[in-house]
Amino acid sequence: MAPRANGIGVQVEDTKICVVMVGLPARGKSFIAQKAQRYLQWLSIDAQTFNVGNYRRTEAPHPSADFFDLGNAEGEKRRRAAAEAAMHDMLDWFRKGGVIGILDATNSTKERRKWVLDTCTKEGIEVLFVESKCDDESMIMANIRDVKLTSPDYAGQDPEQAAQDFHARIKNYEKVYKSLDEDGDENDYTYLKIMDVGSQVIINRIRDYLQSRVVYYLMNLHIRPRSVWLSRHGESLYNLDGRIGGDADLSTRGHQYAQKLPELVRDSVGEDRPLTVWTSTLKRTISTARFLPENYNQLQWKALDELDAGVCDGMTYQEIKDVYPEDFVQRDEDKYNYRYRGGESYRDVVIRLEPIIMELERSEDIIIVTHQAILRCIYAYFMKKDQSASPWMNVPLHTLIKLTPRAYGTEEQRFSADIPAVSTWRGKGSTAKHENPTAGASI
Amino acid sequence: MSDKVSASESPQPSSPAQPIAICMASSGTTQENASRTNSRRYGTGDSHSYLHRQVHFGDICTGSTNADGNSTAEIAANAPRYRRKSSTFIDGIHDVTADNDMAPAQLYSTMSGRLFHSGRIAIVMVGLPARGKTHICVSMARYLQWLGVKTRIFHLGDYRRATVGEGEDVPEDYFFPNASPASVMLRQKILKKCREDIYAWLNHDNGQVAIYDAVNPTASGRLSLAKEFAKHDVQTLFLESYVDDENLLRENARNVKINSPDFEGMDPDEAAKLYLRRIEMKIPIFETMTENELNYIKMINAGQKFFYNNVSFNYLSHRIVFYLTNTHIKSRTTFFVRAGVATEEESFKADAPLSEEGHNYARIMCETILSHREQERESLKEQGGPDVPLRPLSVWTSTRMRTLQTAEPFTERGYKVRQRSQMAQINPGVCEKLSERAIRRLYPDEVEKHELDPYHHRYPRAESYHDLAVRLEPIILELEREQNDLLIIAHESVLRVLYAYLMHCSTTAIPTLKFPRNEIIEIIPAAYQNEAKRILIPGLDPRIVPSSPEGVRISVPGESPALFPGGGLSSPPETALEGLTIGPGSSAPTLVTSPPPQKIVSTSKEAVEDKLLDQD
Repeated sequence: MAPRANGIGVQVEDTKICVVMVGLPARGKSFIAQKAQRYLQWLSIDAQTFNVGNYRRTEAPHPSADFFDLGNAEGEKRRRAAAEAAMHDMLDWFRKGGVIGILDATNSTKERRKWVLDTCTKEGIEVLFVESKCDDESMIMANIRDVKLTSPDYAGQDPEQAAQDFHARIKNYEKVYKSLDEDGDENDYTYLKIMDVGSQVIINRIRDYLQSRVVYYLMNLHIRPRSVWLSRHGESLYNLDGRIGGDADLSTRGHQYAQKLPELVRDSVGEDRPLTVWTSTLKRTISTARFLPENYNQLQWKALDELDAGVCDGMTYQEIKDVYPEDFVQRDEDKYNYRYRGGESYRDVVIRLEPIIMELERSEDIIIVTHQAILRCIYAYFMKKDQSASPWMNVPLHTLIKLTPRAYGTEEQRFSADIPAVSTWRGKGSTAKHENPTAGASI
Repeated sequence: MSDKVSASESPQPSSPAQPIAICMASSGTTQENASRTNSRRYGTGDSHSYLHRQVHFGDICTGSTNADGNSTAEIAANAPRYRRKSSTFIDGIHDVTADNDMAPAQLYSTMSGRLFHSGRIAIVMVGLPARGKTHICVSMARYLQWLGVKTRIFHLGDYRRATVGEGEDVPEDYFFPNASPASVMLRQKILKKCREDIYAWLNHDNGQVAIYDAVNPTASGRLSLAKEFAKHDVQTLFLESYVDDENLLRENARNVKINSPDFEGMDPDEAAKLYLRRIEMKIPIFETMTENELNYIKMINAGQKFFYNNVSFNYLSHRIVFYLTNTHIKSRTTFFVRAGVATEEESFKADAPLSEEGHNYARIMCETILSHREQERESLKEQGGPDVPLRPLSVWTSTRMRTLQTAEPFTERGYKVRQRSQMAQINPGVCEKLSERAIRRLYPDEVEKHELDPYHHRYPRAESYHDLAVRLEPIILELEREQNDLLIIAHESVLRVLYAYLMHCSTTAIPTLKFPRNEIIEIIPAAYQNEAKRILIPGLDPRIVPSSPEGVRISVPGESPALFPGGGLSSPPETALEGLTIGPGSSAPTLVTSPPPQKIVSTSKEAVEDKLLDQD
């Protein structure tokens, strides 16, 4: 494993971590794994999940519960082979420069955990075990119904029968399951143990900064059902002129959207529970949120302010092209990393949004009224958009977006207010003005 | 090479300064207003009857308080740890800052001054003496303030001393479950004063996190404390430091009792044992936290393991935990040095290798630091300390060529050198290679903005110090995590920001801190506050000594023109020797004529001595 060189023969040190999930089925392991991967990638840390179940499935697509019985030698052999195949691919991926690999499997026995630890340690990879432990029967059944019955293992089967079978599968795992450090002989391992969805947490022997960072993020997760609503501010006077930045008031149509927003929100929430409203500190978002019901708490975040365009603030794209032609081209080349003179890049925005994401992860029922670039970053986080594409996404005005995180991804619904507005979208390498979005640009 | 001079430069212990007295008076007034407002605001229903009792009790106390001539605010202000202002010589972690100051890595500000929508929080420490509580309090406050969270520590010990008198001890049965009525009364009185200050600060001075440093030994006491805080609209987070590792306990005890005359001439291990036994006798009942209904963090064996009981943690609590997973209480030293001179000093983009002088500097610097460490060890031995081997030394550099090459003499000697890309110097943007005059001519508006706020202002394409601080946050956590002695070789701009974190400098002072090349800065952490020393590197060509020529070459307000006739960061050699003393409000002009001060930057022993033996 040759560490990367930075061109002048000097070695740059880097840490590699294998996050090893531990826990019985239906405890939200895959949920945690995919969240962690998404978060790390959003922060530009190379991360990848290796799901042992997927390897096993290619061999045994629709196994019955018996397959998971410890007494079933054939089942045991196949499951072992699947684990080895996943591990093999993961180590390959690490050798190619991967930073955080996530091994998603039950890893419910001490022997299996020791094998994972030894194999990784030999390759110079640190191991962080993450266990989700839950004894609440109703929560487990809810998880089975929500998640597992849509799993490929049960495709085309009777749901009731499938639930029964899955339950039997869990029972088979329970026979051999040992919680992390339950007997005190895994005290040397680095681990995070989350009990009953975070009501109690144990953190043991965190060895470096990156590990502490992953642990910190995972502690902020919860699996209670919730949604996040996103909206841009209503059309502003600057939008009409095609100017960027500024702190302008809403246009007449923007005000119409503000008046319509409460109805849109109510329809999409479906019931009468109050949301919490987050806006930026700029006039146009505060104004857009001003008709939302009084029992909605409203908070203003400086971190939700629009991307700072520095010297270009208040200019049209044409003016930017005229005054800073070089910049205009540079920005198109690498929009994610381009930093406006005296202003910010998308990368800068992602860094300042991190507390917002962390807060979003731990809260329920938030509606965010903010700006185009900010929404692109938040949206990219939830929908796992690539950073080369996310700055080019079209986020239309006068549209409410509802995102509902699920175990294997985020569901999206859109509610258009049917109030016309200008487009503020501009395609890569195109003319220096706002235009109608092309089909591929839509998020 | 470096002898510590006593704290003659520190304004605090020697001068009962006038301005501080004024501060006390004014905050005393606020205090009284505060408690009145409190009773109005919370004076309904249950809390009314509760407050009524309190007020009544308060009346009794007021009499005795007046007799001592001590208001509660004065207690805090008189405590050596509450200084309104100090020079950059001294770790400013206990200073009281002005309300509108932005912290080094603060991302945004709010009207109330509270961040992360987390409301008011009391962090209540739990744990017997010698469990590292004070150290945890101080590091936590350091980090939170760095993020811009208004944080203040309330040591119950300060209130005890103010009540029973300096040098007096509390009654033997003070912590006993069956204490005499007089002891109970005394205890109540001390606790009440401290808590009133906490409420007043949180509710009326825009405080956000109050750290309450006391033993809090019983479950029932903690439950009622949480209830009481809830009534004042303050969330409570308990933080217990629990140690069951005998070795760790003994090591802590050895560090704690080091200054106490009681243990003079004793075998250190014997003294530690005796000290621990005394604590046990004094505080016979201590219940470790198991209260399911409370928010608590149990930090086991100095961070080896954490257990949380989570009722309603919020973002800020998680952030604290995140920080704590990276801290430890082992003592170690951090050294700061500049990188050597490069062949193309003027260029940021060139990333040039060291010049011949640069290599020469690297060699002399390496020898100086190694022999200094050896000498320190020898002198510790002479003073009767244990003959322990030196702690290992780690070296961190940025990924820039000149810092890497400056570390070469260490690599050759087998020291571990790690590269950190985040430690690259501040990006000068358009100011690269420009003279100050050229910058003024080309960017007059920017220069104007820069002079108004040199910390946050960013030249076109450049980074501000604020950007740099935010970028360095991971480094700060790693710095806390490091257990070896640590040598950081970096550009001056990076040293400024890291130094500011460890010594708690204000954002206005950061851009003006000076790190001449002929000085090694050594920062020694102590439980109560950090100390810094300067070690001279002898035999350097004076031309390579001055502050870095390659940053943004614009003078910053606050620099005395008398000191810096050149007006830029590239100060002339004769002033460079003055070291990093130059901050606004410091007694800079006198330094011009006086010889360069010897080694010391700050000593904290005096301020800490009483603190170390606290048993509250």
